Amino acid sequence: MIGVGNAGITVLDLMALEDPGVKGLFVINNDADSLGSSIIPDRILVPEGDPRKGFQAIDEEFGRVIKGAPAVLLCGGLGGETGSFLLPALAVRAKAEAITTLACVGLPFSFEGRHRREHAASSLKKLYEHCDAVAVIDNEALSGGSPSTTAVGEAFKVADRTLLASLLALQGMLGTSGPVKITRSDISGVLGMPGSQTHFGFGRAKGSNRLHEALERTLKSPLLVLPGKGSALVGTPTVLLFVRGPKDLSFAEVKMAVAEIERIAGENCHVKVGVQAEESTTFPLELFIIASSKGGTANAAELPIDPPLSLSDGAQHGKNGGKEVQVADTTKQVKPPKKTAAKQTQGTLNLDPYQRGRFDRSEPTIMAGEDLDVPTFLRKGIKITPPRKQ
Amino acid sequence: MASDQIYVGLEIGTTKICVIVSEGRSDGTISILGVGETPSRGVRKGEIIDLATATECIREALLDAEEKTNVEIGNVWVAITGSHLRSFNNRGTFMLPDERDEILQEDLVTVETNAKEVALPPPNIFLHTILQAYHVDGNHNIISPVGMAGRRLEADFHIVHGIKTRIYNTFNCIKALNLVVEDVVLSSLASAQVVVTQNQKDLGVLVIDMGGGTTDYMVYHDGAVRCSGVLALGGDHITSDISIGLRLPIARAETLKIQEGSAADPLNSSGGIITLKNDPGFLGCEIDRVSLDTVIHLRVREIFDLVRRDIENSGEGITGKGLFEMLGAGVMITGGCAKLRGIASVAEDVFQLPVQLTRARNVGGATQTFENPQFSTAIGLTKYAMAVSSNLPDESIFQRVSRGLGGLFRSKSK
Repeated sequence: MIGVGNAGITVLDLMALEDPGVKGLFVINNDADSLGSSIIPDRILVPEGDPRKGFQAIDEEFGRVIKGAPAVLLCGGLGGETGSFLLPALAVRAKAEAITTLACVGLPFSFEGRHRREHAASSLKKLYEHCDAVAVIDNEALSGGSPSTTAVGEAFKVADRTLLASLLALQGMLGTSGPVKITRSDISGVLGMPGSQTHFGFGRAKGSNRLHEALERTLKSPLLVLPGKGSALVGTPTVLLFVRGPKDLSFAEVKMAVAEIERIAGENCHVKVGVQAEESTTFPLELFIIASSKGGTANAAELPIDPPLSLSDGAQHGKNGGKEVQVADTTKQVKPPKKTAAKQTQGTLNLDPYQRGRFDRSEPTIMAGEDLDVPTFLRKGIKITPPRKQ
Repeated sequence: MASDQIYVGLEIGTTKICVIVSEGRSDGTISILGVGETPSRGVRKGEIIDLATATECIREALLDAEEKTNVEIGNVWVAITGSHLRSFNNRGTFMLPDERDEILQEDLVTVETNAKEVALPPPNIFLHTILQAYHVDGNHNIISPVGMAGRRLEADFHIVHGIKTRIYNTFNCIKALNLVVEDVVLSSLASAQVVVTQNQKDLGVLVIDMGGGTTDYMVYHDGAVRCSGVLALGGDHITSDISIGLRLPIARAETLKIQEGSAADPLNSSGGIITLKNDPGFLGCEIDRVSLDTVIHLRVREIFDLVRRDIENSGEGITGKGLFEMLGAGVMITGGCAKLRGIASVAEDVFQLPVQLTRARNVGGATQTFENPQFSTAIGLTKYAMAVSSNLPDESIFQRVSRGLGGLFRSKSK
């Protein structure tokens, strides 16, 4: 597992902290300071300056590192100088050795600037060309559900945590030795398509009610919840579910987890399950979900290079104000700031989906991922004529 | 012996708390002596969220009832609801020992215990085990197997369970008032005692009790409970939707719902403008009737859709999708929301069955009380109380009504 750039190092550090026993972690960066502060001992320092030259310098060392590995998991943030260039380059290198290559990358927040997002998009395209599977975490989508007062540092922390969860999920799925497996082709089947939005969920719990708690946490993971619309799993064609648990992980628990996900995702969803029971009895029950939705939602690869919003677009936006609310289309949230940025944010910052009225502080009534305390007409996006003042 | 028995039903609703004092008659009917009622505070979605305030409201309602009926209330039957309540059907089996082939009373208890041999989630306890039917050696639907010859006794039960602590909260509230809780009863089970007849239960009927905070439903077929459930959605949600959609204060939205609202399809709405007058702290405005009806219609329709989906997903065979085709007596709607205009047409559309708005029937006493669908549950409680406490032998309803938590609670409250 290779962390590239500052973001990659942070995530792998988190992982090493979480599970000190984990092996096969490597970090690569051109910043000696950040490498120095990392707790991961295996590291490669890329010479500073032109990344192309830097890559050539570490090419040989990298080749040694990946030699004999069953799979390479690249992880990092796109948009910066290091990750954007190194990640695709490393992918090409790993692929040349005929090693299964997966990438798990974060896209920058929109406030990090248009330049970064464009940069990220072009390197993401390259990654799709060379990797077997690419999991994309769009930081912007993550932040969509958080209140406007969230501290910047907090936002990055959430992004790192989510990237970590997806890494763990991929690592778990690849490394299963359990009786029911998720194969590599399953993973690339779900993650291989460019332009799809990846949804991740991760939950872990212990104790007598562990399955319910873990399921609840998983389903409430930020990337599985579309603001105001409920679960992102609704209508996805395939969901990968990986269950890892202690020795006494029961058949009924796995069955129930699958049933619950099928119930949320709908009848046509194909749930692929991987199960692994650890030797220890104190191991917590962990659930990982990977799904990707095509077309409809944020098109990660193309988004940042959308043509600038035209005037007619803006007008339409205004007209469909009511409609917009329920669709909670993530595409709108990740549009890069442009000349008409002020207008756009007006359209997207509609807080209606969060209106729970008098039920604000009571236990939410959630069925099939929908918060039923939110008025029906808001969820269905039906426009109500406001009252007129006398 | 049951002729002069007094039963008190207490419903801690989201909108109101009401106490019904009834007298059981020897012919098996009940007569209402009086009603105590207070607007409810500290209750959300059918469950107590503010124990102290709710206790105070219950005290008021009880005092009100004591004053009106001149009865000193000591023992009460309490209705319970809440989204944590779940249900399923299960069959218990008991093989008679080799040396005996006559079924005894205690075998019925054993078979019920066997049916309860299921793993509930740890925080849950059984609330009701409602008998559906006995089967003896493959002979189905036997009402009373005691004394019959047989080797293999089976029984189907509808089992209702819920989170222990949340059930106990209701109980604690009443204990604080030094009252004895005879039993806690599922709201929909209580309502069904008085809003549908035995004949309708045999034909098959869906009872929906749509109150302020919750919508409780129960399906009867062949005289037995097949399916039940609670949705934490109700009239409060309609009011909240109006309040958000039309930007009105909650109290205003509530009056508007009661006075002008209709759940019928807004396509058939008469249209026009509703003018709200100025009030202190509220600037008058004009409201489009179609908007109001749309908000209500969408919510009511969704609630019915959810009920339908819940029932369809509740199991296979007799409890699944086919169940709706077997409901010969259609759908009965009661509870406060039954007063909403046009609600029957929405339900007809969703369930594709004849729909009737109903209220407590076959009871005597204060007419105004039992004609109000809001009181169905509390009246039903007293009827249930009589059915369980009475020893009348020939009414099958008594056997069908379950043994609940009664013993448990009575012993605890002493």
